[in-house]
Amino acid sequence: MAANFWISSQYKELLDQEEVDVVHQLDKERGITLDDFKLIKLHMSNYVARLAQNVKVRQRVVATAITYMRRVYVRRSMTEYDPRLVAPTCLYLASKAEESTVQARLLVFYIKKLYSDEKYKYEIKDILDMEMKVLEALNYYLVVYHPYRSLAQFLQDASMNDATQLTWGLINDTYKMDLILIHPPHLITLACIYIASVLKDKETTAWFEELRVDMNVVKNIAMEILDYYDGHRSISDERVNAAMSKLAGR
Amino acid sequence: MAVAAFGQLNLDESPLWGSRSIECFEKLEQIGEGTYGQVYMARDKQTGEIVALKKIRMDNEKEGFPITAIREIKILKKLQHENVIKLLEIVTSQGPEEDEPEKLGIDSNKYKGNIYMVFEYMDHDLTGLADRPGLRFTIPQIKCYMKQLLTGLHYCHINQVLHRDIKGSNLLIDNEGNLKLADFGLARSFSGDHNANLTNRVITLWYRPPELLLGATKYGPAVDMWSVGCIFAELLFGKPILPGKNEPEQLNKIFELCGTPDEINWPGVSKIPWYSKFKPARPMKRRVREVFRHFDRHALDLLDKMLNLDPSQRICAKDALDGEYFWTDPLPCDPRSLPKYESSHEFQTKKKRQQQRQNEEMAKRHKLQHPQQHSRLPPIQQPGHSQHWGGSTHQMSNSQPAISAVAGHHQFGKPRGTGGSNRYPPGGNPGGVYYQDRGAQGGGYSSGAYPPQGRAPPFPGSGLAPSGPRGPSGGYGGPPNYSQSGQYGGSGAGRGSNQMSGNRNQQYGWQQ
Repeated sequence: MAANFWISSQYKELLDQEEVDVVHQLDKERGITLDDFKLIKLHMSNYVARLAQNVKVRQRVVATAITYMRRVYVRRSMTEYDPRLVAPTCLYLASKAEESTVQARLLVFYIKKLYSDEKYKYEIKDILDMEMKVLEALNYYLVVYHPYRSLAQFLQDASMNDATQLTWGLINDTYKMDLILIHPPHLITLACIYIASVLKDKETTAWFEELRVDMNVVKNIAMEILDYYDGHRSISDERVNAAMSKLAGR
Repeated sequence: MAVAAFGQLNLDESPLWGSRSIECFEKLEQIGEGTYGQVYMARDKQTGEIVALKKIRMDNEKEGFPITAIREIKILKKLQHENVIKLLEIVTSQGPEEDEPEKLGIDSNKYKGNIYMVFEYMDHDLTGLADRPGLRFTIPQIKCYMKQLLTGLHYCHINQVLHRDIKGSNLLIDNEGNLKLADFGLARSFSGDHNANLTNRVITLWYRPPELLLGATKYGPAVDMWSVGCIFAELLFGKPILPGKNEPEQLNKIFELCGTPDEINWPGVSKIPWYSKFKPARPMKRRVREVFRHFDRHALDLLDKMLNLDPSQRICAKDALDGEYFWTDPLPCDPRSLPKYESSHEFQTKKKRQQQRQNEEMAKRHKLQHPQQHSRLPPIQQPGHSQHWGGSTHQMSNSQPAISAVAGHHQFGKPRGTGGSNRYPPGGNPGGVYYQDRGAQGGGYSSGAYPPQGRAPPFPGSGLAPSGPRGPSGGYGGPPNYSQSGQYGGSGAGRGSNQMSGNRNQQYGWQQ
């Protein structure tokens, strides 16, 4: 892939957790709390993944789409940018940006199939219109560097090839959080490898020490991921629905 | 892993979120026209900076924002190199603009507005520059441009981007002598293994490599290197070396020059889809070294490696840069040492600017009267454009080959011929195989646009004949077509007299 992460906008625009965890004023007025905000983004990440499964695009498209969606909500309100439209639009845009184009009508077809709820119902025109708004919200920065990219190399180097599946899955789950907006992707990869090595009881201390990375950061990211897994158990449909219901109706 | 210079952070970039409006720019004039929309020269109202605006047309898009534009934006945002055109920002117009009165009536819900890519403004493109009357490149200058072209392309290739439309009009040159690759509208990222199927309908025909013409859909950076070879030879030879009219003829021209491919010189060629369809009846000998025997040894060695039929044996950008050619005397010159072909904007007085505006108006009107001028652009074989030249040979032989349209646009209201500047054989003979030309016309080229390298003094330092080296007696038998001759003719060698010519006339890289 081109250029590199260190001169990319993604690197320049990495955010602090505090910057990501800002509920837009308009959303606050609708009673959306930070917890709701996170839940809705989580729910929409799952929505993108489900849609992607149906239209059959690769994981990387899903990852890019979710990143777009999360980037949008750093600056835009859910009140003005309904997540139920933004999510499929981000998938649509990501499919183009990642060279796996999905036709808008196919997307619309599967949206209707997956959700009978009127609130999810959008037409092609809505997606195309939202695409322009999303592009603008992203300031046309469409390249996303993902943690998957360095995974194979790292695992090979650490002699952990047997943990590929596990680590890949862990990385998939990191998109249910905002990590990709906050940390350089290779550190997310390392955090996932770190967790995998602990789970698989592999001795990797020496390998990690040889890397010139700040292990404190890696361990902190790993802790965030583990915290998320802990918290995930308490997420119920009721909680998600309650949060979603605070969004504006149409 | 990608190699890119550190320390190129643009910390003071324009607004980080949300794009500015087109209102921030004052459109000065249109400098290009393509299927996607127009290219304008414009001034940033805040900073006074001159930029080029490339419009992305959004009408008739069933699938939203065009994927070609997405590719171009993605790639340009990734590539940051001194030899790659810089995308400054993207601006939008919310509603119909002043110059689109026909759209004012449209239901505002339907109207999507326009999107413009804002680029740094470059004064020339390579073809336009080469076409300027009275201008001959020096050898150090050619080396300098080639070196920059290869450096920029090497950067693209190591970053896994194929340009896929390398040609003179896409190589922009500023008055500092810098050359930058532009128009990434056909560019694509590729994976190292060359396993993805890519379209073979890319690259302007004259610069298209044999593997694409034979229908290959798995290919890599070598496709761009073929184009570089064509440009290199063109710079030294004085005109395009492989001006095919259609795909079969293009292949034929390639075979006549480079010999016919077989399993020996190109292992695996027989497995390429259309090989048997285009396989010539009789084998032909490779004649690159014969046809271009006037080139100096190192130039010829390099060219021979670039025009290798087998893409896997074709020289890569890096090895080309390491070639003897760039490391033997005369060495490539420093870009900044190159002559400035225009007075820059700073030098232009207010009065001139006024006149410019008037002339602009004239040019605009002129264009309205002659909209067909645009059809003389380099042939590009895209689905949907084939009618430009897939059809009758007549069409081509009556009009000039496309590239020469460069100087044809904005003549600042001066009366002009119909042909635009012309360094190509006008009419009659363009289909002829070029070395037949050679035979027939004897030393025709030496009195033509570019004398064969090494014979004539490469730089017109000693003064030109009033008509310039591209003058009427060019040996092509046609009348001189460029009206500028009046403008420049009497001025002899004085470069400074070219002040108004190419700047606005340039083709700008991105029209197709």
